[in-house]
Amino acid sequence: MTDQPAMPSPGAAALEEFAQLASDERIAKAAAALKGNGIRAFVVDSGGDARDVVRTLLTDGAEVFNNTSQTLEAIGVAEDIERSGRYQPLRLRLYRMDREMQLREMRTLAASPDYVVGSVHALTEGGSLLIASASGSQLGPLASGAGHVILVVGGQKVVADVESGIRRLYEYCYPLEDARAREAYGVPSGVNNILIINKVVAGERVTVIIVKERLGF
Amino acid sequence: MSMFDYDARPITPQVVLIGTHASHGAYAIRDFLSRNGAPFEWVDAGQPDAVRAALGVAEVDASALPVCILPDGTQLAPATVEQVAAGLGMVAAPSLSEYDLTIVGAGPAGLAAAVNAASEGLRTVVIEAVAPGGQAGTTSMIENYLGFPNGISGSELATRAVVQARRFGAELLLARPLVDVSADGPGYVAELSDGARVRGRTLLFASGVDWRRLDVPGIGDLLGAGVYYGAGPSEALACAGSQVIVVGGGNSAGQAVVRFSRYAQHVTLLVRGADLSGSMSQYLVDRVSTLPNVDVRVRTEVVGLEADEFLRAVIVRSAEHTEPVRLVTGALFICIGGIPRTDGATGIELSTNDAGYLVTGSDVAADPGRGWPLPREPLPLETNRPGVFAAGDVRCGSVKRCAAAIGEGSMAVALIHRRLAEAGGD
Repeated sequence: MTDQPAMPSPGAAALEEFAQLASDERIAKAAAALKGNGIRAFVVDSGGDARDVVRTLLTDGAEVFNNTSQTLEAIGVAEDIERSGRYQPLRLRLYRMDREMQLREMRTLAASPDYVVGSVHALTEGGSLLIASASGSQLGPLASGAGHVILVVGGQKVVADVESGIRRLYEYCYPLEDARAREAYGVPSGVNNILIINKVVAGERVTVIIVKERLGF
Repeated sequence: MSMFDYDARPITPQVVLIGTHASHGAYAIRDFLSRNGAPFEWVDAGQPDAVRAALGVAEVDASALPVCILPDGTQLAPATVEQVAAGLGMVAAPSLSEYDLTIVGAGPAGLAAAVNAASEGLRTVVIEAVAPGGQAGTTSMIENYLGFPNGISGSELATRAVVQARRFGAELLLARPLVDVSADGPGYVAELSDGARVRGRTLLFASGVDWRRLDVPGIGDLLGAGVYYGAGPSEALACAGSQVIVVGGGNSAGQAVVRFSRYAQHVTLLVRGADLSGSMSQYLVDRVSTLPNVDVRVRTEVVGLEADEFLRAVIVRSAEHTEPVRLVTGALFICIGGIPRTDGATGIELSTNDAGYLVTGSDVAADPGRGWPLPREPLPLETNRPGVFAAGDVRCGSVKRCAAAIGEGSMAVALIHRRLAEAGGD
């Protein structure tokens, strides 16, 4: 697996199509569509505002899993979850568990947090959310395991439709994530699993905060 | 690569600790951070590249070690456990001027008492010298605790209990030992090592036991440098592929063997008694006996150590061999208990048995020399001082099992209610 060649950086066309901040109109359209799909949506001007919204949504003392996310790291949400003392940050709890002796406890704990906070790789104007994962670990809690899902989405991730979203994922996100994974973990990444959330039936289980800034990739 | 290699690591900056493996001070901080579940990065001071990456210089003066870099960038050099605890915001002052119940010790008995007391509305504070969990907190897997058919680790049990206690409003004062207790009217004042004073209408000693020290020449110099008391989680990974020796015949030793057998090339369990069945739960005896990389030497004692800067070998003497036997190892884990932790209790002259365990209930009543002052009989779990109770391993006659300690801690709260009613104001 480690012999897999590194992905080339996103090309000019991908950058042009997928790295640009969407217009206010497209963001508003996506937000309205999310609401129509049973997903609570907020639109905010800055990462700082998004951080404030996340704080108001999370319950003190809750078990919170913050997904690996450049977005959450950039706007301080990861720090709030891991260091504020207000919540039970599951990453830290998992980190100290003995992988030889406690794998079952780890699986159970990671699969069903009170809240999972993360981001997506694409949000369509029709209100669909696309998330890819190399290990797949993020996807179960997002789809159903977590009690509540909070997703912070940079405004450059808005795409026209699911097909564009899939292309964004392969042509833009994957090369950047591959480079990050090699740097952080010493292994390549992969589009091994894809979750598409089109509609949510449990009212207010999923909240999306769209930020009118470029955040993450 | 497992999902947990990606998703079970902190994203935000954590503590960086730079030191030498042979350093007592560095080991104390490693152990403290580990037992409190605080992630940290260990940097060996003998690795110039790693030191440069952490500090910007390739070498650190030995007198400045261990160096600790806190998440906010603060550097402590040389760092102490107390400084690290304070720097991480783990040291809080008591929020109330008086509590209904002060609990000494956050092991299973203390945490059970905290959950039950706080859930019943008692103003409850817990004082803990090191980290929640007590001896059980370092146990890798408790498989006979009710309700967890697949087992639960001691640290996870403690983590859940702390959350539960806090949810009901109990307060935890961590990282500071009790240094003194004095009577104050019908209540008691506990003084902590940093000078903080905690007034409680009642007091519960759930302070547990410390590991018994092995009486072998030179062992004190090797603490953290190959010799460890208990089987702390901070050293398990460091044992990968090595020869490990565990000393003890109880469940703690058995659980340590099971854990280290997953990492080490070979584990030797040294037991002073003739067999394990008298002191270890049968499920652990069975488990240990099936591990292919473990051997058990009964009627065997450690009589010497060989070391340079680190432990290199252990000399043992057994009933089967007339001559001492040399076992090459770099890791000796001593899991023999215990010495009751009653430090700080001398100020109120609590009665103990010859081994130092706190005497309670009918044992107090049976001996007029213990100075029980009230016309009523002492309550079960009540010491010779009215309103001072004991539960768990520190109590004379207790069953040295996690579930039993939890039972005693829970039971103590009902008795504490009776004492509070007697003293007025309940």
